[in-house]
Amino acid sequence: MSLVQLPMSDPGSPDLTSPRRFLRWLGRSQRRGRVLAVLWGVLHMGGQAAIPLFVGRGIQAAIDGDRSAVLAAGAGAFVLGAVQAAAATMLHRQTVWNWITAACQIRQLVARQASRLGAGLSDRIATGEVVAVSSGDVEKIGWFVEISARLWAAVAVWLGVSVVVLVRQPVLGLAVLLGVLVLAAAFWPLIGPFERRFDEQRSLGGKAGELAADTVAGLRVLRGIGGEELFLDRYREASQKVRAAAVRTARVWALMRAQQVLLPGAFVVGVTWYGAHLVVRGDLGVGDLVAVYGATAFLAGPLRVLGEAAHAWTAARVSAARAVRVLRLERASGTAAPAAPAESLPADRAARSDLHDPATGLTAPAGLLTAVVCGDPDAAGALAERLGGHAPRGRAAEGAPEAAAAGTAAGTADDADGGTGAAGGAVGAGTPAAPPAPSPPSARLGGVALDALPLAEARALVLVHDKEPVLLSGTLADLFAVPASGRVAPADALAAARADDVLDALVDGAPDAQGDPMRARITERGRSLSGGQRQRLALARSLVADPPVLVLDEPTSAVDAHTESRIADGLREVRKGRTTVVLATSPLLLDRADRVVLLQDGRVAATGTHRELMHTDPRYRSVVTREETADLQEETA
Amino acid sequence: MRPPADPAAQEREAATLLPVGSPATVRAYVRLLAARHRRSFAGVVGLHAVGAAAGLVGPWVLGSLVDGLDGGTTEARIAHAALWYLLALAVQAAFTGMSRLRGAVLGEQVLADLREDFLVRSVALPPGVLERAGTGDLVSRTTTDVDRLARSVRDAVPELAVAVVSVLLVLGALLVTSPLLAVTALVGLPVLLAGSRWYFRRAPQSYRAESASYAAVNTVLAETVDAGRTVEALRIGDDRVALTDERIRTWISWERYTMWLRTRYFPTVDLPYVLAVAATLGLGGLYTLQGWIGVGQLTSGVLYAQMLIEPVDLILRWYDELQVGQASLARLVGVREVADPGRDGSVRPDGRRVRADEVRFGYREGADVLHGISLAVEPGARLALVGPSGAGKSTLGRLLAGIHAPRTGRVTLGGAALADMPPERVRTHVALVNQEHHVFVGTLRDNLRLARPDADDAALRAALEAVDAGPWADALPEGLDTEVGSGGTALTPPQAQQLALARLVLADPHTLVLDEATSLLDPRAARHLERSLSRVLDGRTVIAIAHRLHTAHDADLIAVVEDGRITEYGSHPELVAAGGPYAALWRSWRDEG
Repeated sequence: MSLVQLPMSDPGSPDLTSPRRFLRWLGRSQRRGRVLAVLWGVLHMGGQAAIPLFVGRGIQAAIDGDRSAVLAAGAGAFVLGAVQAAAATMLHRQTVWNWITAACQIRQLVARQASRLGAGLSDRIATGEVVAVSSGDVEKIGWFVEISARLWAAVAVWLGVSVVVLVRQPVLGLAVLLGVLVLAAAFWPLIGPFERRFDEQRSLGGKAGELAADTVAGLRVLRGIGGEELFLDRYREASQKVRAAAVRTARVWALMRAQQVLLPGAFVVGVTWYGAHLVVRGDLGVGDLVAVYGATAFLAGPLRVLGEAAHAWTAARVSAARAVRVLRLERASGTAAPAAPAESLPADRAARSDLHDPATGLTAPAGLLTAVVCGDPDAAGALAERLGGHAPRGRAAEGAPEAAAAGTAAGTADDADGGTGAAGGAVGAGTPAAPPAPSPPSARLGGVALDALPLAEARALVLVHDKEPVLLSGTLADLFAVPASGRVAPADALAAARADDVLDALVDGAPDAQGDPMRARITERGRSLSGGQRQRLALARSLVADPPVLVLDEPTSAVDAHTESRIADGLREVRKGRTTVVLATSPLLLDRADRVVLLQDGRVAATGTHRELMHTDPRYRSVVTREETADLQEETA
Repeated sequence: MRPPADPAAQEREAATLLPVGSPATVRAYVRLLAARHRRSFAGVVGLHAVGAAAGLVGPWVLGSLVDGLDGGTTEARIAHAALWYLLALAVQAAFTGMSRLRGAVLGEQVLADLREDFLVRSVALPPGVLERAGTGDLVSRTTTDVDRLARSVRDAVPELAVAVVSVLLVLGALLVTSPLLAVTALVGLPVLLAGSRWYFRRAPQSYRAESASYAAVNTVLAETVDAGRTVEALRIGDDRVALTDERIRTWISWERYTMWLRTRYFPTVDLPYVLAVAATLGLGGLYTLQGWIGVGQLTSGVLYAQMLIEPVDLILRWYDELQVGQASLARLVGVREVADPGRDGSVRPDGRRVRADEVRFGYREGADVLHGISLAVEPGARLALVGPSGAGKSTLGRLLAGIHAPRTGRVTLGGAALADMPPERVRTHVALVNQEHHVFVGTLRDNLRLARPDADDAALRAALEAVDAGPWADALPEGLDTEVGSGGTALTPPQAQQLALARLVLADPHTLVLDEATSLLDPRAARHLERSLSRVLDGRTVIAIAHRLHTAHDADLIAVVEDGRITEYGSHPELVAAGGPYAALWRSWRDEG
């Protein structure tokens, strides 16, 4: 059935100029499967349409008293029935396979896009929206792919039946040919209102679902402080709105169902009436009349396909537009533009080079542990980004993680249900990119601007361990399976990050790991661990990666003082001889640094060791010990 | 073909902290629903039965027409028959439509009841259960299971009811036409039964696994997008692509497996149908020749046999969905099974003194986290709990906030055991403030009023002012009416935390347990927040779990917790003078060593 291996080794490069072209591109890449599906469909539907012929013959034979003809008709009906049934199964297999192929291809494309854009993606589009493409939208596009084969088969069979009848009874033939068209047209007026009401219902449903999920997600807060009734009332109101909208949709739907009974039925009555009239005139046999009745009654099936296809097409076009939007995103400017003449810096030279940030005047000497104290968290974050040659983060992106997380919840919920688009409601929280302000130049390593290096090379030389490193789900061994120098073993990194109790907690929570922490699973985003435990695992991971230059932004903010002081020793030990920059305010970390740099108002204000600065610089003392200036003066007096 | 490995198994293991309803509970619940809606349901089925019965007129009319034509008939009689047919059609259309509408109204009513009832039950869960189970499982029940159940209730239940009625009516019509033909039409039934038995023994868990494997692809993708920065920095983009492809492979192997199930099953459904038509036609023809039945009966019989396929198809198609719905319903009603520890409404604290006496506690049988903790905090005093991670500080905090009950020993507030009071009363006295500061979807006003539903705008503003949140709150585009939370105006983490503090000002409990409320924040932002916090703490009893030593320094009393025991206990100067581990740590912090 399949020449193509799924998942594909290369999902190809789609035509993203418009949603329509994207759908056409998808269709082109599975041309053979589509042709096969249409052929099976013709065989199946044609067989179904032809069974009434045998029924008619059998009844005619019974009237005529022809025993062998009766048996032949019965046998013929059985064989034809068996053939159309086999074709039905094959049609099902082929259309579902086409569906899977399209879905697989889109999902692979989205996954590659997500990896390619990396940091650039979540800043510009909500996670929920990306996931929606890979779940609900894929379903809808797949539905269209599936139904289009059945549609073409139905059209072919309808034309075939018309021609057959036309040859024998021109008036009846014409009636079949045109009647189906008229009937199809009669369904159109209701499709629009139905779609509109259905969309409204879905969007209200999405909102109510989001409200419920949000209430439950914050339930610990509600249970701890109150307000349950307030939120229940709010949800009841939303839920009743959904109910009312669903009933409004059902009104149109019920009307459509009644119409689906009445109109094709009336068509059958009309054709049969005319046929009976022909029988009375002697132009048609009784058996033929039964055959005509059966065949016209059958045509109601293809008619339904037509209605369904119209529905699928509308949905698929919207979904394709969303897929195109996600697949069309490019890396934000400011990062290594591939067009720029790329420079190069070998790793061994990088390890011996100083890291310098022109914007602040900060220099981190090669092979030393430099701590940076910076009063303003935003400025510190921006400095960390620059030190790695990353594109500056949009300011609006500050609040994004939470929205993105909520989007994920809605998105994953949606997939599990088979994906009929509840995620649509959660979409739209995407943070638009901030207008590009003139950004300060990126840091220079050994005189080479990091953003002038090829992206992969820049990331390999400098690892920026940001404030919210994410633990990806998987086993602990998976967590440490990152490109690394091989110099630092996971066990050593874990010891340096003082993560022993984390290992115990992981093993405790995972009976199937059989006591081996490396086989214990970390749940999504490490939610089963405390903030401090997550931070230590993430730190261990960065230590294992062992880049020539490591930039750590507040790596221990959620760790208790006891442990933090031991981590500071471990960090120093593991990074010995490597260039390390720690942005921190805790004296326990600063005390272990070779050099401490104080930044104020975006420039270097003082440099020295922690102890020197504590004794000589009141500004430093105030930032680090968090005393108000008044206390400070009192104490020094 | 053998089924692939089940991707759902792993997740199930991790997420079974909340109970799933037992079959008996689910049955009882369904019975309750059925009893409540019996009349409406009977109405829906009755309407459909009338419609379906009218649908049987067509083949009967044609049969009698064939009889008449065979014996010579007139145009007038044909017209007469056609009019009867049309009338029946109109009745069928009208009643089908009405039954659909009534069915939808009923279905939506039931659904709204179910989802609202579930949320009512969820928000009544004991806080201790939430602390342990987390909210992830509950969120997935709220979204996934409610959606799945919606498909069941909206489509599966009415379609099945209607299809069963249709099958019965068609069989009845066959029986009336000719009992002999009816028996002949059922010749393939054993094949259908055997095939269905085989299929439905495998299908439900296979489809669950298929949908779990489908969702697993998105879980990986969502993580990749969410962790974009980490993925890029660690250069693991290619690994993520490979992992996605791996998940896609698993998903496709499940698709193949279920497709194989259907490939075997569909013919066993189609064969009886083909047999029914061929046998009624061939054998029925012979019966006619024998004179046992008339040509008209034969015609109607064959056409009725053909009518069987549609409802039988519907039954088989929706039966699956019903099973999926049943599994989801079990997860929803499971919340009703959470044991509510008997709390006594009559217990009231007398005073504000917090005491723990010889408290032992563990989350699991035989694995205590706290080993005999005793302490006392006077009203208005501040106690700091310090110690290494995993020592049991947070657990102790939860016990002091009445969230968990001690296994042995007592935790009391004003002489009354916290564990005996309902959580709604406990929280008017004690609040646990942790790292979680959820911003709810809704207006800023909603987010504040939850702490005191009767508060007016002036009180809300005052609370915001009290935590230094006045300036940014006023700067919001629509003030208190601004939509915040997911999808609305995004608040920064420090703003979210100030919001949480403002709620505390409104709720006004006299005792606070702070579980590192600011530790996940950037310390540089935390500093500003601490000023807000200190205003909230003013005049209240405070038990603070401290990672930062300056918090401990400011406390009246410090308890150093190690391995579930208090190893040092006293004021800051006392502990520094004693020269123990706390003193050493303090010196290194203050650079005095």
